[in-house]
Amino acid sequence: MLRPDLAARLRALVGDDGVVDHPDTLRVYDCDGYTLERAAPELVVLPRTPGDVAAVVRLLASEGVPFVPRGAGTGLSGGTLPVGAPVMICTSRLQAIEAIDRRNRRIVVQAGVVNQWVTNAVRADGLHYAPDPSSQPACTIGGNVAENSGGPHTLKYGVTTNHVLGVELVLPSGDVVQLGGTVEDRPGYDLTGLTVGSEGTFGIVTRATLRLVRTPEGYRTLLAVFDSVEAASEAVSGIIAAGIVPAALEMMDRLIIGAVEAAYGIGLPTDAGAVLLAEIDGPAAGLDDQLARIEAVCRAHGARELRIARDDAERAALWKARKRAFGAVGRLAPNYCTQDGVVPRTRVPDILRAIQAAAAKHRLRVGNVFHAGDGNIHPILLFDERDRDEVARVLAAGREILEACVALGGSLTGEHGIGVEKCAQMPLLFGPDDLLAMTALRAVFDPEQRANPHKIFPDAKVCVETRTPRRQAPL
Amino acid sequence: MTVPSPEAVDGVVAQSVVRPGSVAEVQAVVRAGRPLVVSGLGAHLDVGAPPARIDALVRMDRVERIVDHEAADMTVTAEAGCSLATLERVLGAAGQWLPLDPPSPERTTVGGLIAANLSGPLRASQGTVRDLLIGIRTVDAEGRLVASGGKVVKNVAGYDLPKLHIGALGTVGVVVEATFKLRPRPELEEAALLHAGTLAAAADLALAVRDVLDPLWLEAGTLERGPGVAVGVGGIAPEIAAARRTIEAVGARSGLAVEWTRDGAALRRSLGAFPVTPALAVVRASVLPTEVGATMAELHRIAGDVPVLSHVANGVVRARLDDAEALRRILAELRPAIEAAGGFLVVERARPDAKRHVDVWGRLGPDLALMRRVKAAYDPGGIFAPGRFVGGL
Repeated sequence: MLRPDLAARLRALVGDDGVVDHPDTLRVYDCDGYTLERAAPELVVLPRTPGDVAAVVRLLASEGVPFVPRGAGTGLSGGTLPVGAPVMICTSRLQAIEAIDRRNRRIVVQAGVVNQWVTNAVRADGLHYAPDPSSQPACTIGGNVAENSGGPHTLKYGVTTNHVLGVELVLPSGDVVQLGGTVEDRPGYDLTGLTVGSEGTFGIVTRATLRLVRTPEGYRTLLAVFDSVEAASEAVSGIIAAGIVPAALEMMDRLIIGAVEAAYGIGLPTDAGAVLLAEIDGPAAGLDDQLARIEAVCRAHGARELRIARDDAERAALWKARKRAFGAVGRLAPNYCTQDGVVPRTRVPDILRAIQAAAAKHRLRVGNVFHAGDGNIHPILLFDERDRDEVARVLAAGREILEACVALGGSLTGEHGIGVEKCAQMPLLFGPDDLLAMTALRAVFDPEQRANPHKIFPDAKVCVETRTPRRQAPL
Repeated sequence: MTVPSPEAVDGVVAQSVVRPGSVAEVQAVVRAGRPLVVSGLGAHLDVGAPPARIDALVRMDRVERIVDHEAADMTVTAEAGCSLATLERVLGAAGQWLPLDPPSPERTTVGGLIAANLSGPLRASQGTVRDLLIGIRTVDAEGRLVASGGKVVKNVAGYDLPKLHIGALGTVGVVVEATFKLRPRPELEEAALLHAGTLAAAADLALAVRDVLDPLWLEAGTLERGPGVAVGVGGIAPEIAAARRTIEAVGARSGLAVEWTRDGAALRRSLGAFPVTPALAVVRASVLPTEVGATMAELHRIAGDVPVLSHVANGVVRARLDDAEALRRILAELRPAIEAAGGFLVVERARPDAKRHVDVWGRLGPDLALMRRVKAAYDPGGIFAPGRFVGGL
């Protein structure tokens, strides 16, 4: 139980409108994009500056109160669920873009800056911020850093960690420490690299120094239609083997094609087994040649139809099918849940077979729309939440799919994080000694385990069998 | 297998040399609980501060298998003692590379690459170890085998512990195996040479190139025929042709001729060999790309006409020094100025006699307190290369 005067003391630090303690308003914060489990915090604090975040954390430290950091709440693994942490600290009001250094391609932003704003700030200079999670119009840099977020274009450009040079971290003690900075090759341990992806368990990141990347001179986008996912998968391998690194390489299977076609009627053949969306970008000079190679590979692997975008409008049209796939799936069933797993890219056909086997065994409909180039799968399991038995079967199938990912040499999550959702499954991937090595690092930053407790690691308190599947969420 | 000493690291003689033949034997060596320094093939043992003490020099050259190279997955898993030259041959046969090009690839191991965070000109476009290492197996202070990361290119399960070992000089565990993501090797690699009047002008020219094109690599410094820029471009024929036109235009604006070589990789390798040339010391500054020119000019003002070469796009400047007075003055005059601007200047390599008298790492930030805690967490008994790392860690 929090001390009754804590809210007042926090208001003294961040102002009256910076503390939420009315039960109705607190309900807004009872989950993020992972809605399966809900728990409202007792207090939400909304500081406006990095200094205020530190002051708030210092006060909580003096009281020994655990806290949960939160950005925009778009996370998909329950990383901001308050579990044993009564106070939530939202960084969404830390919205300043503090410095732009165009020639050195660096930008310093506060944690609450929205991903898309970074690119907006430098687009006119021919630069952009490369990591592009689908939630980029809403998600914040602070959340991206916590989750090491990905996106469709990570195949070529890498994920968040490849673009973060430094962070300012408020430790759970309230001390502020600058990790990394503006220059490369900083002597010492790579504490920045360790903090990215730590899911808020090291403290609260309040500022980040990011790399900017040149905006490509041009794009070529191709949609190829195949009779089977196997043929499409072989085309993916063929493209990679041809020495091409596409900016994106995305696949949709028959169920998804049917859903997209039913919803939008954009002319996809509904008897196709799979469509592959490939995009290349870079200097204009090489694009047509690379595109010709991708076309040849697709034809060699049995593509029966190729559509090529020659301008921005055609490109947008081809992406429409991919980007609207989740909306279309909503028409097929009252509910769906999306899994996030990874396999080596040559094992994509194996995992798709395993997914189909799990679907058949549990009498479920499952579609696939995913980052084929990375081996990052996103099976979509359809269900009706009013059907308790079906819900149980969805959960069982989801677990079996993740087990299959690990058995094929992959991972439990490619971009959504462990959060509370998958902590019980961490032992599938890591042995006790491996997990000890990770918790030792946590103790370096947060010896009292007050920053986002009960996340990532198996823990009796939260990692119980879940009873309902996660909500439908776009990737 | 234990072979007779004396062998030394930075003048500190090892009491014994051990050449484990397996991961299990590495674990046994660590379990003995005595201070050890891990070595690969020895090409980069002069990086870092002199170790406080070496009971065992652990040579990893017998733990050297390529465990797994699935070309279509574009990943490779190799044991720590595997040399980069061996990897290059195997990966090259599949048209791929691990695009990290430190000097002496035939004498550089996977373990050394990670421990010393080695890189070369390719980092301009391909990044450094932290961008390519996706999984690692290490032996911890208790002799346990610990895995983190994995074998897939996209993975956010658990902390990114592979990063802990990059550039850590073996102070938090012994790397025994690593998995990297790979990239396709460009079909063509050509290079341009442009000579400028001064080092500062060369750096400006390099930045002008980078303003209009992302080259495969971009070096500026004292080239064979004076201050200049070397630009590597890679890709397929139409990309090379377009890059050539772009670079010619940059040269023309400054009234400079551009010389082209079709064997860009050979030029890159010769430039990349820069810091291993025998000398008293090599210093390395980390600054912003726009500060490279001023940093090179300062190095020359203080140390005279010494060899200087920079990875311009990364803000990494190195100079080879032959006399102790120049080294002393650079550390006394240039280092504080660079540090005041948020950069660093480290003594990357030095002869043992020179190292004894200098602070290898320079000023460290307030995050040193956290680093001490990291070291204490992973090496409570102080057995992993004690004294070698920043702050005496």
